[in-house]
Amino acid sequence: MKILIADDSRVMRQIVVRTLRQAGFGDHALIEAADGQEAFDKTTAEQPDLVISDWNMPHLTGIEVLRQLRAAGNSVKFGFVTSECTPEMKTAAEASGSAFFIVKPFTAERFDEVFAPILG
Amino acid sequence: MSVEVEVDENDLAEMVEQVWESYLDPEGVSPLIPTYDENQPSEVHSSVSITGSWSGHIVYASSRAAAQRAAAAFLAMEQDEVSEEDISDTLGELANIVGGNVKAMLPPGSHLSLPQVSLAPETSARFPNTQRISGVYGLWEGEPVSISMWQSSTDTKEEGA
Repeated sequence: MKILIADDSRVMRQIVVRTLRQAGFGDHALIEAADGQEAFDKTTAEQPDLVISDWNMPHLTGIEVLRQLRAAGNSVKFGFVTSECTPEMKTAAEASGSAFFIVKPFTAERFDEVFAPILG
Repeated sequence: MSVEVEVDENDLAEMVEQVWESYLDPEGVSPLIPTYDENQPSEVHSSVSITGSWSGHIVYASSRAAAQRAAAAFLAMEQDEVSEEDISDTLGELANIVGGNVKAMLPPGSHLSLPQVSLAPETSARFPNTQRISGVYGLWEGEPVSISMWQSSTDTKEEGA
């Protein structure tokens, strides 16, 4: 599987990559995006199987990326890894077709719990 | 209109503990030791702003050595391998993580900004019309680290006319 990790923090993208490896998902092809617009563009161009996205990013927020992808007919599996987790954000994410919501700080156990059913 | 904030020092301390457990001290050998000294020195800081149902700032401040150690822990690298950019990015993400967790405890209807980072002491920061309402202050392997909440005043009135 190809996985796109979108976060404006390079350090956090590396932590997500490392945590995926720690949780046993290191064999997948990993690509990265440094803001919301790049996340949208790379998802469209490179067609990953899964997008793991931050919420609060420059240019486009994560939820805007998800909505624009769905509006364009793209049904890629998409979810959030974010420090913010309010009920209204979760509701908005689910209403837009988000598959998961992981809150920072997170652990490898949390990644395993969320991604094992998706990545096998 | 800003509401009475319901995030206290215990909540902040719990968030900080989770950050240490997850990223800065996963082995559980180097916790942040509380000093309760809100005037402890800092050399670098980062902040996020929250606006809406509550308005104010979350500020992460530390010595440069503690920031370098945090970046090394975040990146799983040696301390002498981390760059200035790594340190800035780590500081921003630390403010973002705590700020996001604070926002989650506030009433609906608030916005979290992107982080601001300054490789200068917290005392150089200017948050007009704010007062510190809470904070966690400690030493991490002997180096000062603090996380504080600054609430914006809501009763500032235009004088005269």
